[in-house]
Amino acid sequence: MAIEVTHLEHIYMPGTPFEKKALDDVSFSIKDGEFVGLIGHTGSGKSTLVMHLNGLLKPSSGSIVVDGLNLSDKDVDLREVRKRVGLVFQYPEYQLFEESVVKDVMFGPLNLALPEEEARVRAAEALKMVGLPESVYDKSPFELSGGQKRRAAIAGVLAMKSNTLILDEPTAGLDPHGRDEILSIMRDIHAGGTTLIMVSHSMTDVSLLCSRILVMNHAHLTLDGTPEAVFSDGDAIRAAGLEPPPCAQLAERLRADGWTDIPTGAYTKDALADAIAASLGAEGRTDVCR
Amino acid sequence: MQITIGQYFPGRSALHRMDPRAKILLTIAMIAAVFAAGTWLGYVMLFAFAFAAIRISGVGMRFVLRGLKPIFFIVVLTFLINIFFTTGGTALVHWKFINITDKGLYAATRMALRLILLVLVTQLLTLTTSSIALTDAIEALLKPLSKIGFPAHEMAMMMSIALRFIPTLLEETDKIMKAQQARGADFESGNLIGRARAMLPLLVPLFVSAFRRADELAMAMEARCYRGGQNRTRMKSLHFTKLDAQAALCVGAVLALAVIL
Repeated sequence: MAIEVTHLEHIYMPGTPFEKKALDDVSFSIKDGEFVGLIGHTGSGKSTLVMHLNGLLKPSSGSIVVDGLNLSDKDVDLREVRKRVGLVFQYPEYQLFEESVVKDVMFGPLNLALPEEEARVRAAEALKMVGLPESVYDKSPFELSGGQKRRAAIAGVLAMKSNTLILDEPTAGLDPHGRDEILSIMRDIHAGGTTLIMVSHSMTDVSLLCSRILVMNHAHLTLDGTPEAVFSDGDAIRAAGLEPPPCAQLAERLRADGWTDIPTGAYTKDALADAIAASLGAEGRTDVCR
Repeated sequence: MQITIGQYFPGRSALHRMDPRAKILLTIAMIAAVFAAGTWLGYVMLFAFAFAAIRISGVGMRFVLRGLKPIFFIVVLTFLINIFFTTGGTALVHWKFINITDKGLYAATRMALRLILLVLVTQLLTLTTSSIALTDAIEALLKPLSKIGFPAHEMAMMMSIALRFIPTLLEETDKIMKAQQARGADFESGNLIGRARAMLPLLVPLFVSAFRRADELAMAMEARCYRGGQNRTRMKSLHFTKLDAQAALCVGAVLALAVIL
């Protein structure tokens, strides 16, 4: 069991008029090799939750266990935790600071007390993984384009080679091309055996990649299941202040219009197309679609 | 990071509803009273008045006292300096080079009480007045000086922008700090030089983002045709009320008593 969260609760600024409960009785566990999508509206507690998973925030109550390390322990080695769970923040390009891209990526590995050469090798590997050419290694990170900066910042966390990687809104503010690049990088990282958690409010991104979805709503974890299961419950998703992905909405509309044999879980283009074709074929209405 | 000194504490108490100009002027009067008071009775009265005001403000006593924490060190330091370096009076302790006199003890206690009172009184102003109201009031009070060329509006605008961005930058600092900690950065241990070096991954992104924000803000202000203070009117104009008159009477009485006692 990679990550186990039980009855997690977090209260910001307790005992002041600004007191706010950001997480309330949140429990779940994530196995090695999963690709989990964490979705929820703005302020639902997603970011607060992921900051607990590598010890950046301490729970007000409840526990988090990562690979047998209990993060509520007073003397837990945080460096060890951060070696296991990497976290890419929202807009990570705003944390670039070094004079060259490669040095910035080496920051993480060097903090893990790795020797310089090893850090350089890891940095090169990570930069290759995010598709940045060698010609930018010695450039200042501030000279890169927006999408390149984002990828360099992701490489900075990748180079730490954690076995779990969390990305908070990795595609926020990118154009469609930049978004596709990041999503394909994430697919590669997952294929390499890393457990991935992606925080997002883009249903489409999540539906394209994840094998499991957690839905947060007002500090509570309200849904947890496969994309089929979660997206087939359109009302629950709307209750959480979100919209199901476009294909799931289309499937819903078709079912409402009498296409009762379209399964509720058809949330990808391919699955929905197959379902429609099967439905037409079964009724022998091939004439309708020419 | 918990800094309560100077933070606005939202509420609807009589102190919150007072005109911010009156609050600034009365705070200055209170500061004068603190310096005018010379006897123990005077200090007792001032403390009673300060605590009564805190009670009225609805700001929790614990919250106010927590604001005193940052100046605790200064209070202790001035106390010690006064106690050891005041000469004259009857010696209470005389041991080698240490020389404590009754006059020194008296001066030290007085200084410590004064400092605490000053912080209590001024803190009450910032706790019950939002930064916007505060800068509006400062602008209104400095307005007469603009006749002799003093840029009152520009000063107030700069102050309100600076105040407005303190929480934003604190939040930003916290975010960058967490992001770098996620990459294994360590801001807590190490010697002085090591710690200063460790600040680099925090300061560079912070400065970059502060400049970016300043640029964006200037652009947004120009896009809305901002061109300084001439002929601008306010959405919320300030009015003195009966409340302010009552408060002024109270503070006047305290000031008078402080001088007499």
